[in-house]
Amino acid sequence: MTSSQSEPSLGSPANALSPAAGPAVSGATTEQHVHPRHHWVVRLTHWVNVVALGLMITSGLRIFNAYPAFARRGETFCCYPFAGKPIPAALTFGGWLAGARNWHFAAMWLLFVNGVIYVAFIYLHGEWRDLVPRRGDPRDMWEMVKFYLFARRNHPHQGKHNALQKSAYFSMPILGALAVLTGIAIWKPVQFAPLTNALGGYVWARYWHFLVMLGLVLLSVVHVVMVFAVDPYSLRSMITGGYDESKSPEARNARPFFWRRPRPAPRSEGGLGT
Amino acid sequence: MNRRRFFTFGAGSVAAAALGACDSFGPKSATSLLRYAERKNERLERWLFNTGSRNDFGKGARLSGRAFPRYFVSKTIPMWNEAERGMWRLEVGGAVRQPLSLTLDDLMKMRSVSQRVDHFCVEGWTARAEWTGVRVSELARAAGATSDAQYVDFQSFDSDYHESWDIDSALHPQTLVAYGMDRAMLGPGHGAPARVHSPVKLGYKNTKYLTRILFMPTRAGGYWSDRGYEWYGGV
Repeated sequence: MTSSQSEPSLGSPANALSPAAGPAVSGATTEQHVHPRHHWVVRLTHWVNVVALGLMITSGLRIFNAYPAFARRGETFCCYPFAGKPIPAALTFGGWLAGARNWHFAAMWLLFVNGVIYVAFIYLHGEWRDLVPRRGDPRDMWEMVKFYLFARRNHPHQGKHNALQKSAYFSMPILGALAVLTGIAIWKPVQFAPLTNALGGYVWARYWHFLVMLGLVLLSVVHVVMVFAVDPYSLRSMITGGYDESKSPEARNARPFFWRRPRPAPRSEGGLGT
Repeated sequence: MNRRRFFTFGAGSVAAAALGACDSFGPKSATSLLRYAERKNERLERWLFNTGSRNDFGKGARLSGRAFPRYFVSKTIPMWNEAERGMWRLEVGGAVRQPLSLTLDDLMKMRSVSQRVDHFCVEGWTARAEWTGVRVSELARAAGATSDAQYVDFQSFDSDYHESWDIDSALHPQTLVAYGMDRAMLGPGHGAPARVHSPVKLGYKNTKYLTRILFMPTRAGGYWSDRGYEWYGGV
């Protein structure tokens, strides 16, 4: 396997060639590996999305608390075991139903416009290529899982993102679009009756809206945990745009909560062949 | 390092602000922005409104029956006291050529409609019933509403409860002055002797214990609309 050959060990040429490791020197060499990673439009829409999603989810949970169930009056609903139990107030925003609705129906435009700008930008600017699923992705995802579970020694080779990240970042705008669609269906169940009916009626559309929200929460929580657990250096790339390739999880062979110190990168990529 | 500290501090402040905002109404300064969004949303919603839209469900679908929530703002169920107030009448006035004063019998003699529709509560629940009554558009025709009638105020004897509507929603064919529910006369818990019912507006816009329909050139707010809920409240 080529990936095992690139795995560093104490006796590898990369380490042997590294300078006698003064911190200042290695600092200078890593700075050379900082490359622009995220365009400012991507960074801006990312952080606007944090605000918009945060407002939408917390105000939506406050709206949900006015009737924390799904069943139509006089009927039962199969698929929600927590009916009647409100969401903890600390997770909600808006203060009361009307306040939360006002926030929800204002912030929805922030979420929608921001999402449209993001998707249009990555489509026109080419970033979509780093996210769009490819045929080898399921296998690569499996390899990542194996690596994370210590069933594989070496970090699989990856492009800008690993296969698990790709699937998460590709799902995010899709879930966002579904949130908008199911949201329209419960906002205007009479004006858009065909849409609401296609989703199974108002009660089910409200349920799908809730599930899509849960999916967005799940993705976001995993995303934030993984940023700090595997690649905290990527935080910089989402703020200033610069990313130090020599500190990438692949370069460090890092698993969640198991970081390796960044190692000096090989001088040239052809080093092994020569 | 300074830059890193700046970002750490900034992120910490934002997180603290976000946590502090939990379960809150949000900053006061946002109120005008929220009002602005509501006005823009209303414009969009009125533009989207389609008089041909219908809410309908099959004959076989179950009705909510006794599970249909009762609701009023007075301390006790509002009942029309004939001894004190005389016979109940529905006044239809304002921007009309021929103001009407209808007894329940008068109302029941008009062309009636029965419809099985959803009731969309602002809280997120829905309930189903069969409503019988007279279309508001029929009453508008009978009273000869003029072109000044751009809004309609539905007033009640449930304390000071009222809600005003845009004329398009009021004239929607599924907007009724209902006196029957589930093939019986409307009960006191549901707005007897007559109430507004329509699937094109949220529940709180559907005034119960109706006394007066006032056609107007301008809007008149409403009980819940004046307390922070959207004035338009369209579905």
